[in-house]
Amino acid sequence: MKAAWAQSLRFRLLAATVAGLSVALLLAGVALGSLFRAHVLKQFESNLTQQLDQLTARLEFDAAGQPLIDARTLSDPRWQKPYSGLYWQIDEMTQDGQGRTGVLRSRSLWDARLDLSADALGDGAIHVHETPGPQHSRLLLLERTVQASADDQADDKPTPQRWRLIVAADLQDTHQAVTEFNQVLALSLALLLLLLSLAAWVQVRMGLKPLRALQHSLQTVREARSPRLQGQFPSEVRPLVDDFNAVLDRNQEVVARSRTQAGNLAHALKTPLSVLDQAAARPTSPADASLARLMREQLAVARRHIDWHLARARLAATQRLPGQRTEVASTLAGLVRVMGKVHADKGLQIQMAPADAALCFAGEEQDLQEMLGNLLDNACKWARTRVTVQATPIPGSHPALLSIHIEDDGPGIQTDHLQAVMARGVRLDESVPGTGLGLAIVKELADLYGGQLVLAPTAKGGLGATLTLPAAG
Amino acid sequence: MRLLLVEDDPTLRAQLRTGLEEADYTVDEADNGRDALFMGQTESFDAVILDLGLPMMDGLSVLKRWRDEGQTMPVLILTARDNWHEKVEGIDAGADDYLTKPFHMEELLARIRALIRRASGLASPVLQCGDLMLDTRAGRVTLQGQTVTLTSHEYKVLDYLMHRPGTVVSRTELTQHIYAQDFDRDSNTIEVFVGRLRKKLPSVQIDTVRGLGYRLTPP
Repeated sequence: MKAAWAQSLRFRLLAATVAGLSVALLLAGVALGSLFRAHVLKQFESNLTQQLDQLTARLEFDAAGQPLIDARTLSDPRWQKPYSGLYWQIDEMTQDGQGRTGVLRSRSLWDARLDLSADALGDGAIHVHETPGPQHSRLLLLERTVQASADDQADDKPTPQRWRLIVAADLQDTHQAVTEFNQVLALSLALLLLLLSLAAWVQVRMGLKPLRALQHSLQTVREARSPRLQGQFPSEVRPLVDDFNAVLDRNQEVVARSRTQAGNLAHALKTPLSVLDQAAARPTSPADASLARLMREQLAVARRHIDWHLARARLAATQRLPGQRTEVASTLAGLVRVMGKVHADKGLQIQMAPADAALCFAGEEQDLQEMLGNLLDNACKWARTRVTVQATPIPGSHPALLSIHIEDDGPGIQTDHLQAVMARGVRLDESVPGTGLGLAIVKELADLYGGQLVLAPTAKGGLGATLTLPAAG
Repeated sequence: MRLLLVEDDPTLRAQLRTGLEEADYTVDEADNGRDALFMGQTESFDAVILDLGLPMMDGLSVLKRWRDEGQTMPVLILTARDNWHEKVEGIDAGADDYLTKPFHMEELLARIRALIRRASGLASPVLQCGDLMLDTRAGRVTLQGQTVTLTSHEYKVLDYLMHRPGTVVSRTELTQHIYAQDFDRDSNTIEVFVGRLRKKLPSVQIDTVRGLGYRLTPP
């Protein structure tokens, strides 16, 4: 498995860019360095050539045909200073190669001598060598062979004398200049690499910004703060966002359709059931009476089955879709209005503790209504005078949870019956109308959302129901 | 008391009508939303039983139109859809009560009685005027503890007056609330019913306010 940072798009882009830049700058550095070195050497060599030309021009021969240089005519003071790094020397060349070296030398050579193997040189041609010099130096050495012209020659010498003129200079300064240049070059290129890498980092950051925005947007959907991906995305990311939104929309559509179909089935079945029920309620003869009783019993069973399975169908259609949020306070307010009407005869006081308007349930409105509606209806059915409702966020919970507490001042339920009452179809008191499905449906829905329903007797003997549900951020 | 029954299923409508008439209500019927809207706009009803799934115009839209136009009669929604979402929608559209199918006739009657009583601002299901008592739950009238036998029409007139003690009720109003729309109304018959009531309930003061109508005056 690769390390996490290696999987990062930003790291990959940055690594590739920096690697590419490093190679390019290294090549540029090598090329520039060698170019500079070549240029400096060429300059050095051309200076030496001038010195050689000057030496050649000052060369004279005495009557004996021996070479003669008037050192005073050579302008450069370094010729005079011992081991100054600039030297000249004149060798005698013979046919057999046994000529004398150092016939004449610059004062700077002192007691050293430049040893050079015999070299067959054409007239006037210049050869360049790199040789070790005095005091462990490296010298660049230029040589040229000249022939004393006929009128300079003594007549007794049958063959004209050949002389080798040598000029040499210490390479140390040049090498040092090249090294210094290379150092400055390396430093500059390193700085350039740094700046370019920084630019690349900025570029990657800017370029990947939409991805961060997308990630942020996805998070808002996951945390149920938004039903769709929101925001402006560049054209490269837009198709992805559009497709994702289409999937979200489709999910919601499927849920809505399943619900509608479940509702349609309810409508289709319940009207005929009502007709049968009304018919069975008024038997026309005593003979019909027992049949009517049987019908009413069976109709009641059928009704409970339908209610239960419709509720199940709705549950099955309930998916925890991301991005859903339902305001708890407004949902509660709507249901309290319903209770006020439906239970108007009891003259109940329904107290709703002011809930935070921003408190939101991370789920579908209809599911919240179903849970709270059943709990409130139950409380109103049993309450004597008062029902209290309180919705609060649970601080410090992760993922965020909220709790809704509904309490009545009715007769309550014995502790050992509290579990049974949440089972489907259990009705502890058959005298109050109802199917006995309400609490079971609430429990199932709460479970589906990862919440829970807890029933407990209140201090005054009534029933308190606490519903814990996921909260939307 | 005159009710408007809006239900598109003919069998259920007939059954409800029978049940309601047996409880001494006068019933007008509509089997679609458009007719229901029109009848509610033009006639005076003491309560409406409104099915939500109606042809032509759905029940909720009918109800919203009525409320927008200032019609205040109590409306009970009757529907097969029993989820809380639709209950909230119904109540917020202006309904006063909600009953889901299938239901028992007794439950419907109890709710209608309560709706009419609340609309008149009365708290108890037993109406009282001096020593005259009318139990709306049983449709029973007693005077000084003695049960008084009334015909259906006599009961309807007394019931209507007892829901509005001390107020003058015109003959037209009484006619409207005692006969269904398609009935051949004759306001003279009202005079006959009031006369019979005065005879059967000698200690009860039903005044004739000339040119205006009748008033049940509490002692």
